[in-house]
Amino acid sequence: MATLNISFLTQPHSTLRVFSNLSSQNNPSFSSYSLPKTSLLFPSITLRPKSRTSTRHASIVVAALKKLSETDPLTVPLQPDEISGSFPKESGVYAVYDSNGDLQFVGISRNIAASVLSHKNSVPQLCSSVKVGVVDEPDRTALTESWKSWMEEHIATSGKVPPGNEPGNSTWVRQPPKKKSDLRLTPGRHVQLTVPLEDLIDRLVKENKVVAFIKGSRSAPQCGFSQRVVAILESEGVDYESVDVLDEEYNSGLRETLKNYSNWPTFPQIFVKGELVGGCDILTSMYEKGELASLFKS
Amino acid sequence: MGVTKEQVESSLTSKLNPSHLEVIDMSGGCGAKFSIVIVAEQFEGKRLLERHRMVNGALAEEMKEIHALSITKALTPEQWKQQQESEKSQAAA
Repeated sequence: MATLNISFLTQPHSTLRVFSNLSSQNNPSFSSYSLPKTSLLFPSITLRPKSRTSTRHASIVVAALKKLSETDPLTVPLQPDEISGSFPKESGVYAVYDSNGDLQFVGISRNIAASVLSHKNSVPQLCSSVKVGVVDEPDRTALTESWKSWMEEHIATSGKVPPGNEPGNSTWVRQPPKKKSDLRLTPGRHVQLTVPLEDLIDRLVKENKVVAFIKGSRSAPQCGFSQRVVAILESEGVDYESVDVLDEEYNSGLRETLKNYSNWPTFPQIFVKGELVGGCDILTSMYEKGELASLFKS
Repeated sequence: MGVTKEQVESSLTSKLNPSHLEVIDMSGGCGAKFSIVIVAEQFEGKRLLERHRMVNGALAEEMKEIHALSITKALTPEQWKQQQESEKSQAAA
C-alpha cells in the first residue's frame, strides 16, 4: 500500500479516466480524489502475469517508464533529512527493497521523496534501497499503469507479490493519525460568558501553535476551502487545532467576532502562533511554493 | 442582484490601480463567486496577507454579495514579470 502525499491541488486539470477495458480487480483504487491525506488502497492483489491486457494509452505510459529490472536502485540515506535531496519530489512509482535486496513493496506517490521519507520513518529496517520511476503527466491512469507494470514484472519473474502489497498487510500504510476533536470555544449557548468571546479567541490562538477556524468539523469540513485547508495541514503533518465556526451550540457568535478580531472577512482562517496567516488561497499558495514547512517548524 | 465582473474590475482598478488584472466569474452568472489575479505596484513590500486584505478592502461593498472570492495571485509587477518569464522558459523547454 502506498500513501498519496501530495494533493491534486496543483493539477486542476487532472482528469479521471475510465478504466473500462481493464480488469477492475487489478486496479489499485484511489479511494478519494481530492484529498492529499488519502491512502491509496490496493485491495485485491490478484495480478496474474498473463493479464497484460493493457490499452494503447497504457502501453505508451509503460514505454516511457523503465522496467523494474532495468532501474537502478537508490540507496536510502541514513539521515532522514538527506532523503528529500536524494529522491525526486515528482509523482511516480517506487519499489522499496530491504537490506537483502528483497522487494518489499511497490507504491505510487505524488511525491516520491516524501513517501520514501515516511516509509523510512515508519519501517526503517525494511527500507534499504528504492527504485524510482518518475511518471510524466501523472494522471491517475498513468500512475496506476506504472504501478501495474512493475507489479506484473515482479510477479512474472519471482512468482509472488511483494509482501507489503499482500492483502491485509498494513506495514506500509500510514496509520491514520488519531483524529483530534474540534475545539469548542464556550461550554454551550445557554451558559453566560464571564469574559468576552474575543478574549477567548485571543487566548485560544495564542495558547495553540496552529489553529484553523473552519466551516464544519475537521473530519468532515463543510466547505471546499475549509476542506482544502484541512487537507494541506494534514499532508504537512501539522499538529493543529480546529474550531468549527458553524457550531452554533458551542461556538455561537464566533463568526462575527472572529472576523473583527482578525480583520479578515472569510473562513477558513489559519492562525500560527497567535497571528493570522490567511485563508485558503494564502495557505494554498504557500503550500505550492513550499513555504509552509518553515512556517510550522519553529 | 449579485455582482458583475465589471463591478469587481472597476472597484479594483480605481482603488488599487493594478497593472494587470484578471477577474473570472466562476459562479456561472449569479455573481457570487470570483477568481482574481491582480498585479499592482501597491503590493510592493507587503506580505501576502496584507495584499489580500487590500483586495478584500477594495471590494468591501461587493463582498456583501460575493460568497466566495478566490485571490489566486496577488503580485507586484516585478514578481509578475518573473513569473511570466519562468512560465515562458518552461514552455520553451
